[in-house]
Amino acid sequence: MTTALEFSGVTKVYKRVFSEERVQALTNVSFAVSPGEVCGFLGPNGAGKTTSIGILMGFLFPNSGQVRVLDCPPGDVRAKAQIGFLPENFAFYKFLTGPKLLALHLALSGRRVGDPTGFIAGLLAQVKLAGYESLRVGRYSRGMVQRLGIAQALVGDPQLLVFDEPTSGLDPAGRKDVLELVRSLKQAGKTVFFSSHILPEVEQICDRVVILDRGRLVRAGRMDEILAAGGRVEIIADSLPADFDTVLAAGAEHTPQGIRLLVDAARKREVIETLWAAGCDVIRVNPVKDSLEEVFLHTVGGAS
Amino acid sequence: MRIRVLAWITFLSLLRNKLIVLFFGVFLGIVLLMSSPLLAMKSMSADNQVQAQAMIVNLLSLITAMVSGFGSLLAAWSAADAVASEMKTGTILAILARPVRRWEFLLAKYCGVLMLMAIYVAFMFAVDIILARIAGQRIVTSPWLLLVYPMVRYGIYAALAMWLVTAMHPVFAFVAVMFAGLLANMVSPESLGAAFLPQWLRTGLFYVLPSLNLLSEDRFLAITAATLKQTPWNEHAIALAHGLDYALVALLLAAFSFRRRSLARD
Repeated sequence: MTTALEFSGVTKVYKRVFSEERVQALTNVSFAVSPGEVCGFLGPNGAGKTTSIGILMGFLFPNSGQVRVLDCPPGDVRAKAQIGFLPENFAFYKFLTGPKLLALHLALSGRRVGDPTGFIAGLLAQVKLAGYESLRVGRYSRGMVQRLGIAQALVGDPQLLVFDEPTSGLDPAGRKDVLELVRSLKQAGKTVFFSSHILPEVEQICDRVVILDRGRLVRAGRMDEILAAGGRVEIIADSLPADFDTVLAAGAEHTPQGIRLLVDAARKREVIETLWAAGCDVIRVNPVKDSLEEVFLHTVGGAS
Repeated sequence: MRIRVLAWITFLSLLRNKLIVLFFGVFLGIVLLMSSPLLAMKSMSADNQVQAQAMIVNLLSLITAMVSGFGSLLAAWSAADAVASEMKTGTILAILARPVRRWEFLLAKYCGVLMLMAIYVAFMFAVDIILARIAGQRIVTSPWLLLVYPMVRYGIYAALAMWLVTAMHPVFAFVAVMFAGLLANMVSPESLGAAFLPQWLRTGLFYVLPSLNLLSEDRFLAITAATLKQTPWNEHAIALAHGLDYALVALLLAAFSFRRRSLARD
């Protein structure tokens, strides 16, 4: 298996029966995630993330293009046996208790465990729901439901985890727990593919990022490459010549170390030589590493 | 295993469905209300005994037919709702993310509905027997006829509703199934209900629509002291096979229609 999941030229158009109304949800989207990677799936609202996840899980069907999940077509039971899925708003049978819901999903996953009761109790403890065993799920808070949703995704010991907004509805401590969980899954060699709007979290834990905007793939790659690919350098000089580039001069910032310029990497040499030629002293030159949030906002034009 | 688990959970969900509980409540109320004149007639004086007996038999027949017809409503609505509510709430996403095929999901839902209907049929049987006993009448039939025939008939209603709900809103699916049942009765050879339709259309509709008269337990039911009409086994077998075949076709159509259904939350 070379890829855990792969989209090749996927296009999805929503059409209504007896209506001319068409919504182009995805246009020629292609990307791949390797086994063992944690991949963040980003995009503003309406970018096509949930549609992509729906196609990946076999809930929706693309108009064109191909999707492979764990070397199988989407919806294939062989693949689904190895996938743990958390939908965007996890819905459940409200009359069941947490342990009974997990027992249902354990039975549906086909996984056999020696002591189901102990296994389920362990899972509930892992998502910090121990002590609520007798409470019906319909009475759970939003955060508790999300935790239970994560537990049900883990119940079949999946190789690939697909989480749609796993931290939504969780308090900061809950979000931290989810991040820790994703880290531990990564250490266990699992592939995690998750969508999120909380970019600092994605930046912390992801190896790879895929960014969609209005149904089109606008950025995909390894996290370190994406963050470094901002392609800017910081130059600190003691002064600027009088006839210096007006655009750069306007963006210059006075710091205790000197005058700070942010320059495209391609113009680094030109700017430094200009400064030297004018007799200015270049104190420091550093590559600038953007945050994921900056990359995201730059990529999608602040649409979110 | 997966089908059994899902069928059981469907059954439990249906038992907790507020609309179905309301159906049951209203229905029970109507049966009790209708039992009241039954008791009144029973206590009529000896002078009117013959007339009273005739009225009692008519009333009993009416209650039995109503109980039976109500089961059709329940089967169609339960089947439509069992699938539609999963799609509306989104619980279907977590279920079908498991190694469950779509046809397995539908079959499990169908089995869950049949479990509910089995309880209803048992209840219906008990109501028929109790009311007849109260009225001092005898129900002359074999118990299995009162149990198996309605189950097959409700199986058809449930399968039809399940097929239609894969393509439309559950209310429309429910109404369409009821309309199909009504039309099937109207175009049957013994009915004069749709005499305005050309004969070729009546015949065509009769063969396409579920001919539920054939599957009515009334054919073998007599609420009098008369003797039961003797029917050979092969006639029962053919009638029931016809019904099961119809339900199977509707269920296969449901599975085919659901195979490519987008599961975005409604």
